[in-house]
Amino acid sequence: MNTVQYILLAACITGSFSLAGCSKFLDKPLENQQRSEEIDYTNTAQMYAPVSGVYRSAADDNLVHWIDLSIRCVRDDDFQQGAPTPNDNPELMAIKNFQSDVTVQSYWGLNQSWNSYYGLVIAANNALVELDQFAEHIPETNAKDLARNRQYKAEVRFLRAYAHLMASRLFGDVPILTDSEDIGSLATINKSTKDAVREFIIAEMNASVPDLEDARPNQSEHIGAVTRYSALLLKAKAAADLAGNDNSSSYWDDVLDATNQIIGSNKFSLYEDLYELFKIKGKLADESLFELQYSDFGLGTGDIVRPGVDWGTFFRWQGPPGDQKGSPISGAGWVPPSQNIVDFLTARGDDERLKATIQYCGEDGNPATFATTPSGDEVYGNEFGVKYFNGKAYLPKSDMTPGRMEYGANNNVRILRYADALLLNAEAKVRKGQNGDEPFGLVRERAKLDPISNVTLDQIIDERRAEFACEWWGERFNDLIRTGKAKDVFGAKFVPGKSEFIPIPQTQIDANPNLR
Amino acid sequence: MELAAQTMQLRGRVTSAVNKEPLAGVTVSVQGRNAATSTDQSGQYALEITGNRATLVFSQLGMRSSQLVVTQTGIYDIQLQEGSDELEEVIVVGYGTQRKGDLTAPIATVDMEEMGKRTVSNPMEALQGAVTGVQIVNSGTPGTSPTVRIRGVGSFNNESPLYVVDGMFMDNIDFLNPNDIAEMSVLKDASGAAIYGVRAANGVVLITTKKGTLNMKPRVTYNGYVGFQAPTNVLKMANAREHAAYAIATGNETFVNNSVTKFGGTAENPAMDTDWYQELLRSRALLTNHNLDIQGGADKITYTFGVNYLDQDGIMDAKNSHRKYNIRMQTEAHVTDWLKLGFTAHFNNFHNYSPDNAAFRQAYFASPLYPVYDPSLELAKPEKFGSSTVIGMPSSFWFANPVATAYYRNDQTKGFQILPSAYAEIQLWKDKLTFRTQWSQRYHSTHNINYQPVYYIDNDQRNNNSFLRSAQERSTNYIFDNLLTYKDGNEKHHWSVLLGQSTREDRWRQTWVQANDVPESEEFWYIGVGAQGTASATGYGEGGFRNAGISYFTRGTYDYDNKYLLTATFRADGSSKYQTKWGYFPSVGLGWVLSREKFMENQTLFNQLKIRGSWGKLGNDGIQPNAGYATVFSGNNYSGIFGSIGTTNGSRIPGYRMSKFFTHVRWEVVEEWDGGLDFTLLNNRLSGTVDYYHRKTNDLAFERPIPFSWDRVYGNWGSVTNSGWEVGLQWKDKKGDLGYAIGGNLTTLKNRVNDLGGLESILNGFPEWSAEFPSRIELNQPINFYYGYEVAGVYQNQAQIEADPIAKTYNTQNPDNPILPGYLKYKDQNQNGELDEDDRVNLGNYLPKLTYGFNLAMDYKKFDFSIALQGVAGNKIHNLNRAMRRKYSQMNADAAFIKDLWTGEGTSNSSPSAQGSVAPWNLQASSFFVESGAYLRIQNIQLGYHVDLAKGIPARLYITADRPFIFTKYNGFTPEVADMGFDANVYPIASSYSLGVQVSF
Repeated sequence: MNTVQYILLAACITGSFSLAGCSKFLDKPLENQQRSEEIDYTNTAQMYAPVSGVYRSAADDNLVHWIDLSIRCVRDDDFQQGAPTPNDNPELMAIKNFQSDVTVQSYWGLNQSWNSYYGLVIAANNALVELDQFAEHIPETNAKDLARNRQYKAEVRFLRAYAHLMASRLFGDVPILTDSEDIGSLATINKSTKDAVREFIIAEMNASVPDLEDARPNQSEHIGAVTRYSALLLKAKAAADLAGNDNSSSYWDDVLDATNQIIGSNKFSLYEDLYELFKIKGKLADESLFELQYSDFGLGTGDIVRPGVDWGTFFRWQGPPGDQKGSPISGAGWVPPSQNIVDFLTARGDDERLKATIQYCGEDGNPATFATTPSGDEVYGNEFGVKYFNGKAYLPKSDMTPGRMEYGANNNVRILRYADALLLNAEAKVRKGQNGDEPFGLVRERAKLDPISNVTLDQIIDERRAEFACEWWGERFNDLIRTGKAKDVFGAKFVPGKSEFIPIPQTQIDANPNLR
Repeated sequence: MELAAQTMQLRGRVTSAVNKEPLAGVTVSVQGRNAATSTDQSGQYALEITGNRATLVFSQLGMRSSQLVVTQTGIYDIQLQEGSDELEEVIVVGYGTQRKGDLTAPIATVDMEEMGKRTVSNPMEALQGAVTGVQIVNSGTPGTSPTVRIRGVGSFNNESPLYVVDGMFMDNIDFLNPNDIAEMSVLKDASGAAIYGVRAANGVVLITTKKGTLNMKPRVTYNGYVGFQAPTNVLKMANAREHAAYAIATGNETFVNNSVTKFGGTAENPAMDTDWYQELLRSRALLTNHNLDIQGGADKITYTFGVNYLDQDGIMDAKNSHRKYNIRMQTEAHVTDWLKLGFTAHFNNFHNYSPDNAAFRQAYFASPLYPVYDPSLELAKPEKFGSSTVIGMPSSFWFANPVATAYYRNDQTKGFQILPSAYAEIQLWKDKLTFRTQWSQRYHSTHNINYQPVYYIDNDQRNNNSFLRSAQERSTNYIFDNLLTYKDGNEKHHWSVLLGQSTREDRWRQTWVQANDVPESEEFWYIGVGAQGTASATGYGEGGFRNAGISYFTRGTYDYDNKYLLTATFRADGSSKYQTKWGYFPSVGLGWVLSREKFMENQTLFNQLKIRGSWGKLGNDGIQPNAGYATVFSGNNYSGIFGSIGTTNGSRIPGYRMSKFFTHVRWEVVEEWDGGLDFTLLNNRLSGTVDYYHRKTNDLAFERPIPFSWDRVYGNWGSVTNSGWEVGLQWKDKKGDLGYAIGGNLTTLKNRVNDLGGLESILNGFPEWSAEFPSRIELNQPINFYYGYEVAGVYQNQAQIEADPIAKTYNTQNPDNPILPGYLKYKDQNQNGELDEDDRVNLGNYLPKLTYGFNLAMDYKKFDFSIALQGVAGNKIHNLNRAMRRKYSQMNADAAFIKDLWTGEGTSNSSPSAQGSVAPWNLQASSFFVESGAYLRIQNIQLGYHVDLAKGIPARLYITADRPFIFTKYNGFTPEVADMGFDANVYPIASSYSLGVQVSF
């Protein structure tokens, strides 16, 4: 080989090895995916961000998915059916009839519900870990920021507890998930009894109440966030579930105490117009204790934050079906109010609540006719024989942002309100032998009904039904269970001890056999 | 090494033994050395080599090669016989070439002439049925690549083999035209592919594009065809009469009555009878391809230049087509006697219109009882499309008007791709030591525009605001290879050593924007602050990835007298994708050419016989880049709304969500061993190979569903084994004027899961349907088998229901919704009298146990004819299209489904009644929906005629039918189902008929 060739050989070999040398070449992080290590935990201005993320999770999907909504609603007598046509998701009717065989266990809707509630739990657990990281960087002397950190954690614990309540009311004995970092533990965790779940909720709320803000949600630092009184109401509801129909249960003391605190704060009041409470003017009213917030930013098109996917939002799913001739007041027509609730409200002369709860699909559902709503919208009937649609999910055209054609756009989803605290307070008082007329009277008064003196338990339960008619959280069914009235209402197909809960989805059992 | 630099000057003339004409372009090489030259126009060659003994090898494609031992300077003239010499053929292997006779690995070469007969736009489609061990599953959409599986499924992540085009790593070759390919080798097993280490677990397809040869007169070739495509095997859906009867039986008589009221007819025979598939499909879609190629070479330079153009319409009657043109050039110069430089560039430009494939699903669902166009709908605009709401059926996404969905879709992608590569080859030490360095790049840029106009059909099928999404993507990849090769040998021993190093980087970046209210004319389809349209706070984004890798590899080969062969390779790969960065992949192969042994000299049975075996490890780099750390999702989509109070609009408070589930991911490593036999018999007329392969994928990486969440977590969760036999046989003969060749190949596959990392089983399935129709991964079973109940028959009458414990228990528990006669009867596997989770069994799996192909070619005087068949057997398909009735009970049904329904006692023992077909009891995961996926398809028929357009200008006219017939029992559009075998939403396959001409001068 001549010199030139030797030089070339050396050059080639060194060249190729030097280019390959850099180990940094292989060691870069992934593009466009922020590492958790890059969050600045010393920046307390960022501390609310994980909490905001959990609220968004709950609002986007975990608490408002259309099938979760349908499953929660279909179990009680306020709702007629699931889908407008009988063969569409017939498992919903099976659930309505308290079936629990293999076809129900393998129903995709149950699996969606399970994943929805626990998805919120996991998001909450992750946010708590984040808040712990922030707390580590706050010096002992900074009491203000430490208090804020505890408050934010308490907000997240509320959302986690609420998700557990929803899961347990549906499935009964469910796992309590407070640590979800280890995938292995998810596959082996055991169920807790329904009572244990509610005791967990009470314990969590007891720990959270001192840290939460002493304000209404609409007065909160972040307007609409949950506060001390939201936690107290959740505690009262869990305690009432544990007390059941036993007047001598000590849990009634908890209910009484918690609701007394809410009433005693003098911060809450019932919104005057029950019809408007669920429309734009009633968003985050002084009555609201927990509400999921949405926005279309005042824009006719473009950016919008909505409850669910665009074709299946919480509102659209309950909108009137049939040919609405291009009007935005239209929807899929699922879970319509039942004839039963219409008759119940009519028989009591409850006009305010009828106006707020029941809207009409044309005349008797006839597609050739239309009915005019109190806000002036014309709603036609449909081919399916569906006669009513949910007034509490109805947002009139006049309330909508000009240009928007999406039913319910910009409206909030109400979950907990002051009327619930008042009625629970009345119930606790009556069960303990005291007089419940005062709180009870406030609710009656708002509904423009005559007051009742020496109100009885049955009257309170009826009033609860009327007040919370067609609201979406399974309250009616839960009230029937805890007061022992389920068998009377549902008849033979309700088997006490078995029909209260729906079986855990087969897919979940396959993934974690301890859930069997 | 000799002390005195003795050299020999060799020259001579090579002629053909057939017609005594001089042969140009014959490769004259020295065995065991790098030295080579080729003959010029007059058949002359000249060579100078060191030493005093060498073996000259004269070879050319189409001629039987000849060897000559020389010991001194002189003139050596040679005559070459016609024919093919299998074992002398030079095969492209990883980073080099080897004589076929010296291979220890089962490397399949593709006959490019045969491939050229297939009128397909993607070269891989042309391989269907041609190579043992390779299964190709086509998708019908023009411009998309088929799924290629080599030797079963060893990974979930990336089933595709690695494509190496002129040294550049590619993920698919749909930009190439089959006419551009000179050689294609498929490296199937470890010892052949291990040199590609980390990318090679699914096999490697090596492609070299056409190059010129030295001293060749320029040759121009034109190959073009024009034809049409027609949809084949279109599933017959129920017509109006059948659909009406079915609707009435399932409780949906309102739809029938409404249709009769509006459009006429009777409930038994409605007048409105829309055949949605016919409305949606074109009966003829144009296809044309033109290719022009120039090759040539002078004394020191070779060149080739090619241009081709393809225009293919899709079979959906909407805007859908695929248009591309390629320009390819390649040149190589012998600058000095020790330096060669070369440059190759491919330029590819394409424009596709993609159809909305959801339209086919909607056509499957749509009721024939309403029309495509309905002028009576006042509010419909701009076109008066019909709607199912007029017969009372809610429309929503699934029951939308399919013709409208196809019509209102405008999705185009324009792009180009440039693949330049340059290399230098330096002879460092006479013809023994060579250094080659190559730099290859890929620039790929696409622009996708998706526009939805304003339209209204009914409350659910509408778009209130126009929508535009514009996305630009760029990929820039490069590979830098450096190879040092040492080849040497003496009389009996020949050896070579290769040392190599390679660096590569892949980058991809996407930028997208979207907006509403954009005007209809294409000139105004821009998005921005000053542009037309309303932007959105969430209407923009970027994505990207960067992967890098470094490798060091080496290969040694040794052979003794071309009888005993040894190949060993080792590769170390580093990749930026995983937490464990480096992987090591060794392989070894042995071969024994029995036919050259002394004891075989006297037998006349075998002309060539070789036994070979190999073992090796390969890595799979095609898995998702893994973060290995918790990732944060922040921004507008993860921020909660606050302040939505009264008439005040809410606004966002910045938020984020953490995804805490992550794992440390390791390479997937495939360990394979292979044993095989290559032979030719009966005077080289019968040739064949037989192989047994065993591939075990360790650390199989895939996403596992986790309880409590829709999230899936990615990790190394198990190991799977694929094993089987590959047999290929070919018979070639000529009797007088008639020449014929018959060939067949067959591959068996046995797939088993060996290890699940301690888990008993993992449930999986088609994404939205995995809860209702799960598939399961379990130890010692094939991967992803369909998991459900076994159908044992149908309850024919009430007495049978009373007698069956399962039915009796169910009816007692559910008196409102009992099992009726005509319902399916499931087998009680555990005999406990109740239908529960333990009664679910393995219902079959999507991997074919047998894949086969068969071809026949004949030529007689000026005519030639060929036919190729391909088929699979032993696989099962889950007819998810029919199973969707579980969620969408008003959907239409295919005619065969309705015909098979139970209508009374004794009418069927496998299908439920009409009423039963919408009851949840019969819509569970069971063998009712699992059908055999076996098929036999006539892949290609071609008839050609040779004619001389003028003296020295031979031409060939041909007509071709591609995929004209398929024989299958499966009730779907095509038994070729990708992914896990769940058939949903498949674009019907088209057959094409064309007329073409090939001219060279």
